[in-house]
Amino acid sequence: MIESQSDSRDSDDAAFLESVARPLRSPEFLAESFEARLMEQIRREGSPIHPVIATPPETSWWRTERVVRLSPLTGLAVAAGLAGIIALSAIVGGTRNGTSSDVAGIASSSGAVRSDTVHVVRFVFVDPAASTVEIVGDFNAWTKGVTNLERGPAPGVWTASIALPAGRHEYAFIINGSRWIADPLAPKSSDDFGVESAVIHVGLTQQSAS
Amino acid sequence: MKGLTDAELIAAVLDGDSESFAGLVRRYQDTCTRFAVRMLGSHADADDVLQTAFMRAFRGLRGCQDRDRFGGWLYQIVVNECRTFASRQRRRDLRFIADGEAIDRAVSGSPEVELDAGVADRIQLALGMLPPDQREAFLLKYVEEMSYEEISGITGVGVSALKMRVKRACDGLRDLLEGVYHD
Repeated sequence: MIESQSDSRDSDDAAFLESVARPLRSPEFLAESFEARLMEQIRREGSPIHPVIATPPETSWWRTERVVRLSPLTGLAVAAGLAGIIALSAIVGGTRNGTSSDVAGIASSSGAVRSDTVHVVRFVFVDPAASTVEIVGDFNAWTKGVTNLERGPAPGVWTASIALPAGRHEYAFIINGSRWIADPLAPKSSDDFGVESAVIHVGLTQQSAS
Repeated sequence: MKGLTDAELIAAVLDGDSESFAGLVRRYQDTCTRFAVRMLGSHADADDVLQTAFMRAFRGLRGCQDRDRFGGWLYQIVVNECRTFASRQRRRDLRFIADGEAIDRAVSGSPEVELDAGVADRIQLALGMLPPDQREAFLLKYVEEMSYEEISGITGVGVSALKMRVKRACDGLRDLLEGVYHD
């Protein structure tokens, strides 16, 4: 009897859900110009961009941000693997010692906004217990498995240097493939799901970014 | 272009034939459009979000590691763009409402159209009143008819948490739509 009531309820639920979902499955269409507008923008850009990952320097790595300013021509040369990178670094404040759950932060670069500037930003994360650390953000379309941090020279330190265009970027670390952590030393942004991400302003002063 | 696989189209784009990206757009636009319109409640917002999502997919195409699963990878981008857009729209008083034409139809259309549009609009409005995480899970499960494992792969949310979101969404819809199917 109990089983039969349960079956009946399940059947009611399924019927209700189907009646709700069916109209929602009807197709929706955008303006006919959608594809034309998209392809026009794609033609302007030319070819897909692949992030340029800078090789971390051997020294002065601790919590530094490397800012590399390149002319457009030089930028192309770098992308083609034909040119080196000239780096200048700035020590970022606000550090703290790493523990098993500590997250080392990053900070935004300084200087005026220049559309022809490539900023190589070093992201640092400290977690001696982590097996893998990766970073997701708007710069890699929030895609897992694309940008992994590598173990640094000190135990528990993970780093990645990523070329970012000037502007505001949101990001988060993913630990061991599943644990999401927004950088606690950076400003936060929260979406409707209550999921926090960290925010970095690259090539912008905080004042000009806000 | 129709006979080419996703992987072949991607290879062509990465070889410099940007026009081949149009083949991917045509292949996935309808599915992505339905999800975005249902999620955001507006064709105009869906248009904006999908323009951004497809551009992100184009720019990050080299990052698509499993080219035969381009659709799932693209869906991840679309879902995330919808989330980002929704968070930006938090201050909008009327965040979720069917597009203006649908409202006009419901208010002033012929009786037959009004009846159909009325039910559909009530469902859509009820959907929009759900918390975004529940709405997203419900749409992927019951409208896009994905498995929980597929949804988990796209959203990064665990299967048990997804089941809870879907259950709460169903409970919420049942409350919100009380009377629609039993009058």
